[in-house]
Amino acid sequence: MFRHWRSGVTVWGIISGMLILFILFPSSTIIGNVFNETNENWLHIKQYLLKEYISNTILIVVSTGVFSVILGTGLAWVVSVYNFPFRSFFKWALILPLAIPPYIAAYTYTGLLSYTGLIQTFLRNAFSLQINQKHVNIMSIEGAVAIFSLFLFPYVYTITRVFLEKQSASLIENSRVLGKSPTVIFFRVVLPLSRAAIFGGTSLVILEVLNDYGVVQYFGITTFSTAIFKAWFALGDVDTAIKLSGLLMSMVILILIIEKLFRGRKKFSYTTTKVRPIARIQLKGVKALVAFGCCFVVLCFSFLIPILQLFHWALLTYQKILDPEFLGLMLNSVIVAGTASLLIIIAALIIGNYSRITENFIGKAYSKIAVLGYSIPGSVISIGIIVFFVAMDNRFFWLYKIFDPESSKLVLSSSIAMLIFAYVIRFLAVGFNSIEAGFEKVGKKFFEASRTLGMTVTQTFFRIDLIMIRQTILAGFVLAFIDIMKELPLTLILRPFNFDTLATKVYQYASDEMIPEASIPSLLIIAVSFMAIYFFHKVVEREDK
Amino acid sequence: MYVEIAGLAFGYKNSNEKVIKDFNLQIQQGEIISLLGISGSGKSTVLRLIAGLEVPESGLIKIQNRVVVDSSTFIQPEDRGVGMVFQDYALFPHLTVGKNIEFGLVKMSRKEKGKKVAEMLELVNLRGYGHRYPYELSGGQQQRVALARALAPSPSVLLLDEPFSNLDKDLQVKIRTELKNILKSAGITTIIVTHDRDDAEAVADRIIVIEQ
Repeated sequence: MFRHWRSGVTVWGIISGMLILFILFPSSTIIGNVFNETNENWLHIKQYLLKEYISNTILIVVSTGVFSVILGTGLAWVVSVYNFPFRSFFKWALILPLAIPPYIAAYTYTGLLSYTGLIQTFLRNAFSLQINQKHVNIMSIEGAVAIFSLFLFPYVYTITRVFLEKQSASLIENSRVLGKSPTVIFFRVVLPLSRAAIFGGTSLVILEVLNDYGVVQYFGITTFSTAIFKAWFALGDVDTAIKLSGLLMSMVILILIIEKLFRGRKKFSYTTTKVRPIARIQLKGVKALVAFGCCFVVLCFSFLIPILQLFHWALLTYQKILDPEFLGLMLNSVIVAGTASLLIIIAALIIGNYSRITENFIGKAYSKIAVLGYSIPGSVISIGIIVFFVAMDNRFFWLYKIFDPESSKLVLSSSIAMLIFAYVIRFLAVGFNSIEAGFEKVGKKFFEASRTLGMTVTQTFFRIDLIMIRQTILAGFVLAFIDIMKELPLTLILRPFNFDTLATKVYQYASDEMIPEASIPSLLIIAVSFMAIYFFHKVVEREDK
Repeated sequence: MYVEIAGLAFGYKNSNEKVIKDFNLQIQQGEIISLLGISGSGKSTVLRLIAGLEVPESGLIKIQNRVVVDSSTFIQPEDRGVGMVFQDYALFPHLTVGKNIEFGLVKMSRKEKGKKVAEMLELVNLRGYGHRYPYELSGGQQQRVALARALAPSPSVLLLDEPFSNLDKDLQVKIRTELKNILKSAGITTIIVTHDRDDAEAVADRIIVIEQ
């Protein structure tokens, strides 16, 4: 078998292997240290607090999951089976809430609903209405669930809608011919049929919730994320942070296993050839109004209202906010996101190319590991990376001394490299999926043709593969770039001292009770995400046809 | 013997059954051989093994007295000097016809490359098509470009995988004769895989029937 290895492939394999090791380091530091000796902090947490972390986290995750499924599948069903005014507008507009990161939504709604916010001020001035503050308190578990559900349901919506439109047309039509009403079909045929798709979308929602720090921290809810941050920042206790991370990670693994079991061997991707759209039922009168109303209300709460509020604040604050310092923030965001995305694309190309050429067990394992980071919550990745980088600093302290006798001990772990490394691990999946799809679409025949014409693996890569998948390379870069622009937990923990990005500035303004001031950086983040969503769901969908 | 295959065996990783068991073949220089068999008989796999795109489980392949694969050797496809025309041609869509043909030419001056490309276009009756892109050509023309591209680096053996499967039935007779003329004037040792006995008889000097 070793004959196979004597070629240019070897080099690709070695570099891929090294990249994979790097990706695994932070997770393995967590696993390696999770059973370290327990200390007082941990005992205290275990005895008094752990129950609350677990119950809060589970409560939020389960409720958000349920509400996202209701919103996501309900709207997907309405949009794909019925015809009503503005249907095709809602079809893609209902994806837009994804452009607003939950933490920005949380700050916006807090400001909107506060005593001095628009709604209460209006009610007071117009109707002299005093509201019991208890009824508008969004800073609670219920509030967090509402925010997560409203702004993350499009994950369920998109996957389910695509599934409904492309997979089950004939089944739905058959049931209809058999005399079942649409409602019966929804519960008896569609839900069971698309459970894999629904669960796939829901698991994405849940992973996002577990990754969140901005919302729960702002609302003062103790979950695993906030506990890990606190152990690290307030107590400086790495061991406890690692133990909590280990627990959180086992929750993630559990979710991934459940998702796998639900999906079984079915992949909910669809065959692109000869898909027949469902013949939609035309709604008239009240029914059409109800369908329109459902979509419109959801879109209002999950996109239009927060956006209008942000624009309103932006008008009030732009003179104060837009200064050279703000330009510096934007530049910071663009530079770190750009650098990390570039590294992501390079790593994804190397690992992706290797795994498609070899098609053996190692190649497959590599591609599985490459996408692992996306499931690991930011707080866990950051703790793993801090421990790893501090260890590296300890190991290489002698080396720093050679170059600079005055060198401090923490060189790597106080540099921007740590943050960029974390981005690469967490968002490699985004670039990798895109590039893998590109390789899959192009196939291996051009690669093979080039080999028989005398080109090595590496020559072929530069002369053929790279050019043929250039569109998916660009797509992967853009997607990774946007995800990094929005990212909060990793950036907060791992950024060097005094280094701010748009996202951390939003967080900081909100923490300083300056929510209106956060509007302009928030809108910038949303605008970038909006463009990406528009690009992918309008342009890519048009291509599909 | 110019090409020698002995005791070749191959099976895909995810199945226990072997696609090819103890396959033997000897070919003279300049001979046109046709491997005839139904689909799934492993005839295309034989081509891929000769080209070096698959690794056999056991057996030996020699080309011009050089072992390209046996139990201890594996020459990479780019070093085998084997030309291959793929079933769907696999012309690089981002390169012109001329650049496609030029792709495999290395260690040549620009002038020599240009001369070779012109010569190849002449051989396949596509003079003046060098600046077109593959998608601007008909299926038959694309096939001839693929042929020219495979022949340009002067391989010692040419492999053709189902060369007639993507062409119109009424074109087939014309193209068969054309292909035979091109191969004979290039004087190249050729292995053609086909499932059609008429095709095999029209082009090949010798037919090898592959049964499963």
